[in-house]
Amino acid sequence: MKHLLTTALVASFALAAPFAPTSAQAEEINVVMFGMPYTRGLQKLAGDFEEKTGIKANIDVIGQDVFENRITLSFTGRSGDIDVVHAPVIQVQRWVQANWLKPITAEVDAMPVKGDLMAGPLDAYRIDGEQFAVPFMAATGLMTYREDVLEAAGVGVPQTWAEMLEIAPKVTDGDQSAIALRAVPGQGFNMFIFPMIMRAYGGKFFADYTGGDLTPAINSPETLEALNVYSKLINDHAPQGAGNFNFAEVNAAAQNGQIVFAVEGTGVAAQIVDPEKNQYADVTGLALPPGGPAGRSPAIAVHGLGIPASAQNVAASAKFIEWAVSTETVTKIALSEPFANFTTQPVAENAEVIAKYAAIHPDFLQVQADALNLAIGHYRPLLPEWPSLGAAIGENINAAVNGLITPEEALENAEQEMRDILGQ
Amino acid sequence: MTLTSTKRLGATYELQRGYRRMIYPAVIAVGIFAIVPLAGMFALAFSDYHLLRGTNWQFGFKNFARLLSDQRLMNSIYVMSILSFFGVATQVIIGTAVAVGLQKIVGRWRFGRILFLVPYAVPHVAVALIWLSLFTPTLSPINAFFDLFGITVPSFLTTQGGAMFAIVMADTWTNFPFAMLIILAALQGISPDLDEAAAIDGATRVKTFFFITLPLLMPALLMVTLFRFIDSLKHFPMIFVITKGGPGRSTQATNFYAYVQTFQNSNVAYGAAIAVTLFLMAALISFYVARLNQRVSQ
Repeated sequence: MKHLLTTALVASFALAAPFAPTSAQAEEINVVMFGMPYTRGLQKLAGDFEEKTGIKANIDVIGQDVFENRITLSFTGRSGDIDVVHAPVIQVQRWVQANWLKPITAEVDAMPVKGDLMAGPLDAYRIDGEQFAVPFMAATGLMTYREDVLEAAGVGVPQTWAEMLEIAPKVTDGDQSAIALRAVPGQGFNMFIFPMIMRAYGGKFFADYTGGDLTPAINSPETLEALNVYSKLINDHAPQGAGNFNFAEVNAAAQNGQIVFAVEGTGVAAQIVDPEKNQYADVTGLALPPGGPAGRSPAIAVHGLGIPASAQNVAASAKFIEWAVSTETVTKIALSEPFANFTTQPVAENAEVIAKYAAIHPDFLQVQADALNLAIGHYRPLLPEWPSLGAAIGENINAAVNGLITPEEALENAEQEMRDILGQ
Repeated sequence: MTLTSTKRLGATYELQRGYRRMIYPAVIAVGIFAIVPLAGMFALAFSDYHLLRGTNWQFGFKNFARLLSDQRLMNSIYVMSILSFFGVATQVIIGTAVAVGLQKIVGRWRFGRILFLVPYAVPHVAVALIWLSLFTPTLSPINAFFDLFGITVPSFLTTQGGAMFAIVMADTWTNFPFAMLIILAALQGISPDLDEAAAIDGATRVKTFFFITLPLLMPALLMVTLFRFIDSLKHFPMIFVITKGGPGRSTQATNFYAYVQTFQNSNVAYGAAIAVTLFLMAALISFYVARLNQRVSQ
């Protein structure tokens, strides 16, 4: 009776749920991750793990869009079909509140690799004194720019969003627009980018997040100014259709030479400056995202690996995590994939890794380190309700950008919806 | 006693009893894979179950009462109605036109029919990705082509009308072959003598089609409309991939909104209430269309 509703939920999704085998066998574990350079690299190295430990790891790399549904079904049904799960830090608070993740403090403390992990990203997974996941990457927001176009226009690299607005018309030429930014609604889409502008203008989500006052405060003159800037950049200085751009379209626009500036996550920025991927890479520079009157706040997104509460093979799962974030494994992935945003410190000291990213772009590792130093951990609030809050805010921001409602209405709606979600 | 009564009822009864037994596996399968999940959905819809907060074991009509004042739900029903109406109408019209054309093709060219079935075999997510590229101005070959002549094709995905048009186009492309197949089968059941008789009486081809063929196709047209309509209520991959419900929330159809409430907002009970409402709407409309179909057939 206790789990009647959970059973009903699972039953109602019975047809949709994948019939994945449970991995009760000690020598086999199932890992579910979503697609990014690190996870694809890890998938290719699954054989190494089996060779080292005798444990077979079935690494399933799926699209980010379907990942949430897949793991929600598994977690709510407590089916035990996932032994290790990709854990974006932005989701972990929600998962912990729902008791979907196993605390792994003792397992992590026993890992020799713990001392090699960057303290900030590792601490991001510590909730109420317990460790819930181990980081493998910390992506930050970076800006790429076309050096040749800026030089021809006689302008420098914009340091603020206001400067970006000034420069934009000067670098626009025929088919080439000034900038592309993610605009499609979603907490991981436009809400990965927009807070960089919002925070640069002094806008904030809550009255005093760090002090514990979670009164929504997004409807402020500062956020309104930021939204006007964001909207103007997308509508007046970005390619046609940019109001529906996601990271893939931004990446494609940069690689096709259709834009001068892109402000993106490290994974996309690494591809834009990579000569093997982008024909304009040799004339593309890399810098910190612009700031504003309140400073500069690069986006940050930490990703890690956790163990679901329903996992059967905790010891094997912990072994997998230890192997996956080890210096040896991460170095291999950093060398084989466009993966420079690792959180295993010794990898940054590896001569081959340094040489590889210096060849892609001489400033790459340095700019990334600067961005990490500037980024604040709660760039997007670390709250269980964030996925709902981020979606609601993102949808209103997108509606304003595409002219369905005014920016004032968007912020008013967003603040009201934040109150509703938080039950205030 | 049983033996006597069976003897009295005769061989027909025995045969029918055998037939009834043969459908038991199907009844069991439907029970497990359709009725149980449906019962689960109804139970959730009356509960207060939340993914994160769990449940206080309170059951009632609270979720359904909330539906009545939910503006987002009303908007989603409007979006769903527009997408379903234009999508189904376009698919049935194009499907019928292609079926009529293909029926006239004889000889080895008849194998060309298979070409028209290809879109139906492509997974919906792949279809959505193809159309997302076609409607993204910086990636679209259509935009590139018109750019050569200095013509700017509007950006579809940044307006509500344009985004809905994009979804209807993608949905039509992949689903019109279904309508085509049903209509083609129905056309082959119509005697060519009727066409010949009409031609002898001096009727034009257009008149023959509208006054003889089309009335005879009505049962098939109603059936295909019903099937496509029910399927159109499940608009999900196209919206999820092409627009993500945007711009803003302007393409969030009802089942997409149920997904948002369930997975994004963790309101499983409320999401189930939306799904139940959608189910009842579909059942009601299906019932009326089935009755209409019966009347037309008679």
